[in-house]
Amino acid sequence: MLEAVELRKVFKGKTAVDHVSLYLDEGESVGLLGPNGAGKSTTISLISSLLAPSSGDVRLNGNSVIAKPQQLREVIGVVPQEIALYEALSAYENLKFFGRIYRLQGKQLEMKIQELLEVIGLRDRQKELIKTYSGGMKRRVNIAAALMHDPKFVIMDEPTVGIDPQSRNHILETVRLLNREKGTTVLYTSHYMEEVEQLCSRVYIMDHGRIIAAGTTEELRRILSGEDTLLLQLDKPDEKLAQELRELEPVRQVEEMDSGLKLIVTKQSHLLSEVVQAAERHRVQIINIHVQTPTLEDVFLHLTGRTLRD
Amino acid sequence: MNPVFMAQWMKEKRSPLMVLLFCGLSIIATLLFGQSADSKLKIGAFPASGVEADTAEEWLEVLNANDAIEFIMMDERKARSEVNEGRTDAAIQLMEKDYRIIASIDNPNVQLVGQIVHSAFMEELQLRAAEQFSNDAKAFREGVESFLENPPLAVGVQTPDGKDLIEYDMNLQLLFTFTLFLACFTIGYKINSITMEKVSGIWSRMILSPVRKSEMYMGHLMYSSLIGFIQIVTVFLLFRYIVGFDLGGRFGMLIIVAALYTLTIVAFSMLLTGILRTPEQFNMVFPSVIPIMPLISGAYMPPGTITNQFLLLVSEVLPLKHAVDAMVKISIYDAGWPDVFLPLAKLSMIGVICMGVGINLMERRKG
Repeated sequence: MLEAVELRKVFKGKTAVDHVSLYLDEGESVGLLGPNGAGKSTTISLISSLLAPSSGDVRLNGNSVIAKPQQLREVIGVVPQEIALYEALSAYENLKFFGRIYRLQGKQLEMKIQELLEVIGLRDRQKELIKTYSGGMKRRVNIAAALMHDPKFVIMDEPTVGIDPQSRNHILETVRLLNREKGTTVLYTSHYMEEVEQLCSRVYIMDHGRIIAAGTTEELRRILSGEDTLLLQLDKPDEKLAQELRELEPVRQVEEMDSGLKLIVTKQSHLLSEVVQAAERHRVQIINIHVQTPTLEDVFLHLTGRTLRD
Repeated sequence: MNPVFMAQWMKEKRSPLMVLLFCGLSIIATLLFGQSADSKLKIGAFPASGVEADTAEEWLEVLNANDAIEFIMMDERKARSEVNEGRTDAAIQLMEKDYRIIASIDNPNVQLVGQIVHSAFMEELQLRAAEQFSNDAKAFREGVESFLENPPLAVGVQTPDGKDLIEYDMNLQLLFTFTLFLACFTIGYKINSITMEKVSGIWSRMILSPVRKSEMYMGHLMYSSLIGFIQIVTVFLLFRYIVGFDLGGRFGMLIIVAALYTLTIVAFSMLLTGILRTPEQFNMVFPSVIPIMPLISGAYMPPGTITNQFLLLVSEVLPLKHAVDAMVKISIYDAGWPDVFLPLAKLSMIGVICMGVGINLMERRKG
């Protein structure tokens, strides 16, 4: 098991990570969810021993690895958010380099490279330079480079940022394969709620450097079990209407969207009529009303008062 | 260390343009500026109207017996236009038994030309006058020449240890300056790839691998040193065996100084990389700082040109000054190790300090 215990990191007086505790059991796929600037990348750097914490501990199977991180480094693979590859080299040469720094050589190295190129679907284009690849292809090689030494734990920092849907699906499939077929433990960081919901059995939600909620996706949704999500499609945006709805007793959160408003409300039978009346007063036409069960996105909105993409 | 070194080599193989460009620039700059550094004054000469071409050629031969000025026969119009346009200080109009100096300004060069031409004409005309009183003019001329070859009183200039005075070769100094200066760029940009790897995240990936940090630094430093060293040696070999420069009898010593200089520049670049935060900052500051080095060191100018005490003090911390100093001593003055100990010691000290401070700054930055 890999645990972070009360991790704290302060940069020039500013707390980036504030008493974060989390754990990864072997074979699990765990999500770390939070908006940009929540402290996810710093947490990953602390867990993977790239940064020393201001306080707190990182433990591998119960043993602290802060002072001697070598034992941890042997078993983790980190996929950084940035494309950490040599752009002037081919995918094959990059993987060869990352294999060689993990002391792989000869047939073993060659087999591993070809195996991973197959997994990421770039075997046919392995000789092409990274700089000629699309963003999605680069991200796939970025993942493969972290897997050269068959790590037990893989930590992925927003591996799908800014890529096309096809590459995104390929990456998600690769993560599933790693976790379900190879038994690799995955810590998947993202601000895409739907990815975490698809891939992870447990989720930590982070904001302003703190873990604000943790549990399985079901447990987190249950935070909003006494609430509904109301999607109002309006003919035009109206701030005054949003303001009036915010002041209604059963309304917990109001988020303005392109097509209308999203309301998180306590389950209450009289609310709909109040909403319709308020819309009439503001001369706003309600085109459609949709009541849905809460998603993790709604949980995040409920907990922080803002969306993941804010 | 090997994978790090090899990755740099692979990148180099893909785009060798920078190294080739700086090698080429060293060669071109030395050839271009070396030619203009030829210290011999060149003065045009032309016959006056009515003077036979043979007579003018005879006077030209007499004038060119001196070592300080080279007189070149040319068309009158060209000679006059060169003086008028300031491309040369003076021209000489050659007459039967006289001359005229054509000059647009009065400066020390014109005076020197005047002295040399006057002395040559006086000597030759005196000899011709004396010939008229001898029975055999040819025998008289030979007797005078033989007498001048073994004069009863000879004045010579020698070094304190009794050796002949060595003529300073500015071309060699420029070769060393341009080669070492341009190698700085190759080395600097290679060292900058450490910062680039840190920014891109490759460095962090290596930290997580079994490769030790010392190996990561060594891989980069060894590669940058080697590529810079190969560039310097290639240019030296080219000038020695193809262009035909006389680099002296101690080529091996020159190579060792080049190796030490390369290591010092690697350290100097590490210091700058440690001070500057991003590859972009380095790319902006490095090409602005490095060209100042040969200027302050006085490496483009003959020795002793820079006399300002402040500039001399600043130049003491610049590796180029000490490397050129040592190379000039070795190649021109045939100096041995004890003679170049001081510049080499200074080079080594600069290298050690820059490397220590540079790596320290880089490691601290991580936070």
